[in-house]
Amino acid sequence: MNIYINGTGFIFPSGISTEPSMDLSGNTGHRYVSEPDYTGLIPPMQLRRMSKAIRMGVVAARACLTDNGQTAPDAISAGTAMGCLQDTEQFLKQLTLQQEQAVAPTAFIQSTHNTVAGQIALLLGCNGHNLTYVHRGHSFEHALINTALYLRERPEASVLAGGIDELTGSSLKLMQRAGVYESENHPGALAGEGAAFFLVRSQAQRRGALRISAIETFRAGTEKDAVSQTAAFLNRHPEAASPELLWTGINEQQPEITDGYSGIRSALFQSHALRGFKQFSGEYPTAVAIALGLLSRASASAIWPDEVFGTAGRPVNRITLINRYLDYYSCMYLESATNP
Amino acid sequence: MQLKKESPSVPARLVNTGLITAAGRDTADCLKSLISGTPGISFARHLNSARRDEFPVGEVKYSNTELAEIAGVPAHWPRTALLSAVAVREVLSPFSGKLEGWRTGFFSANTVGGMDLTEQFYPQFLADNAGGDISRVKAHECGAVTELVAGHFGITGFVTTISTACSSSANSIMMAAQMIRAGILDIAVAGGADALSRFTLNGFNSLMILDREPCRPFDATRKGLNLGEGAGYVLLMSDSAAAATGAQTICTLSGYANANDAYHQTASSPDGKGNVLAMQQALQQAGLSPEAISYINLHGTGTANNDSSEGRAVSAVFGDRIPYASSTKAFTGHTLGAAGGVEAVFSALSIREQIVFPNLRWQNRMEEVDWEPATELVPNADIRHVLSNSFGFGGNCSSLIFSKQDS
Repeated sequence: MNIYINGTGFIFPSGISTEPSMDLSGNTGHRYVSEPDYTGLIPPMQLRRMSKAIRMGVVAARACLTDNGQTAPDAISAGTAMGCLQDTEQFLKQLTLQQEQAVAPTAFIQSTHNTVAGQIALLLGCNGHNLTYVHRGHSFEHALINTALYLRERPEASVLAGGIDELTGSSLKLMQRAGVYESENHPGALAGEGAAFFLVRSQAQRRGALRISAIETFRAGTEKDAVSQTAAFLNRHPEAASPELLWTGINEQQPEITDGYSGIRSALFQSHALRGFKQFSGEYPTAVAIALGLLSRASASAIWPDEVFGTAGRPVNRITLINRYLDYYSCMYLESATNP
Repeated sequence: MQLKKESPSVPARLVNTGLITAAGRDTADCLKSLISGTPGISFARHLNSARRDEFPVGEVKYSNTELAEIAGVPAHWPRTALLSAVAVREVLSPFSGKLEGWRTGFFSANTVGGMDLTEQFYPQFLADNAGGDISRVKAHECGAVTELVAGHFGITGFVTTISTACSSSANSIMMAAQMIRAGILDIAVAGGADALSRFTLNGFNSLMILDREPCRPFDATRKGLNLGEGAGYVLLMSDSAAAATGAQTICTLSGYANANDAYHQTASSPDGKGNVLAMQQALQQAGLSPEAISYINLHGTGTANNDSSEGRAVSAVFGDRIPYASSTKAFTGHTLGAAGGVEAVFSALSIREQIVFPNLRWQNRMEEVDWEPATELVPNADIRHVLSNSFGFGGNCSSLIFSKQDS
């Protein structure tokens, strides 16, 4: 069964889907989103209490529905590895400083992982199915798999599916100490954050809808294992072995870091260049959602900027997307639907 | 993954359970407590909190070291992972060695993740962000807890974690059942776990919904919930996997649904709109009319808001033919992310034993509801279909329906 992306909205360090600035000159280091003016997007009373993860999720969801022209989906499926970090830390801080006395509830309420999906449902008045996946580097992919399962049972429905993760000063520091993110003393990935939502259906509603016909997730502790599991994916989905574009989770601003990808490329995609997207999103557990957003946007607009995709502006119809976060891998095969 | 649209949609079979709560160390032990009317609510002895002598809780009666020993896992794991491992060990043990070659999944849920360790680490980090032992936050994420357990039991197929507050593990059971029904998996361990923490105890207290006495679900004078902890898992199989492994079917998972109240972040709408939708859609999926339900395991936390909304919602769905209904949270406390899984096990036991569990400590009928929960144990009840409700923050409402085979 195929699922179709019929709309997208996303916010990421390079801007927002409606106005992305893909100019990376002058961008170095860890990247945060620059938040837009929320007037008209989020009511001020609510905005006051929303932490960044929620703001990002809401703005991406709204942008997605505007892109698709729908007012509300039938269901919501979200993935977030870390949940609402700011709120979690805020509550922990209160507990610590006040020694469990007179702590205020707001940060606690918003720290629950399904707050973003719940808040979106509240704002849209959506009474449908609403799940949140919190499985590390597979959180967003599992939200998509859940979406496919839901649409299998309800082929006429629409699902707002997304991935959200935020970067805070504390999470950056802890990930640096863990050796995942780059620091003064230690090489590592450049961090990022963002939120992306998609309006997903079991049919294409518009020209240039992006079809996902295969999505698999696995863990691999060694490059050898990653290669063998990717090979198994290609065995099950042979069309993914010869895409027009192989897009991966490498950060092209860190060309020396290709662990987990170079082995896959040299074993299974010799005639493809190793291109990636994380120079736009930064590295974080649900970053692949931004890749999907960029692909979906390009597919719908038929504009494939060379500085993003490296195809000299030529439209791309068949894409294999391979992402890695720590030892969490996902492989997807996508096609640009020409006719609804 | 290729989703087959045309594959037959046969309900998943529930063939085993794994459980640990304040009421007992495994399924049999918990069942004994339920039958003898012995709740596990008391003041915490293992949780370190300035408030532990203020609020009774459903604390599992074992230290982390003891849990680690029972499960055969390292004692430095977060408590959520330890509880999860104990219950997963029970649910898998009759099948060890028999699951080779089957497409297996692990669907776990939790809300606190490794917070019991994180909250110990945090004060040092707050004082100096280079301070504290970083290994303590390695398993902070909800998904990390799942992976610890999956790794230990060698489950390498589809492994995922859901977190939707109090409906979390009902949703993980739902997804597992969907994937078996869709022919994508043969076998699934599904449910969830959660451990007590200062974070949640203080969080719920800040909302002023904790009872300073043992909770009284559905009572007109109820004062709030007791927090609990534990883990509950079910082992689900497809027809062919059950036949090949010789597993006996306890019941099937014939219906499931998740809906959203979309009313408020923490409170339910007065008429329980999301609750109604979840129950109705689960019934629809199971192809059952409300009269077919023999017993409702209520979410029944004991808060003014939940019980009132849920009570009205049950009336709206069942009219004047309310089946037996009770909340088992008077025995276990509210086990948060584990609740759906724990109560799925109780629902399966209700079918297996043909029994209705009592709603303890109930005395006064709620004004807004014109029915009463079952306050006594009902043995030899004719139990064919059980509905289990789990309603959480973020308006997340889930209902599961378990059915006796050939019902």
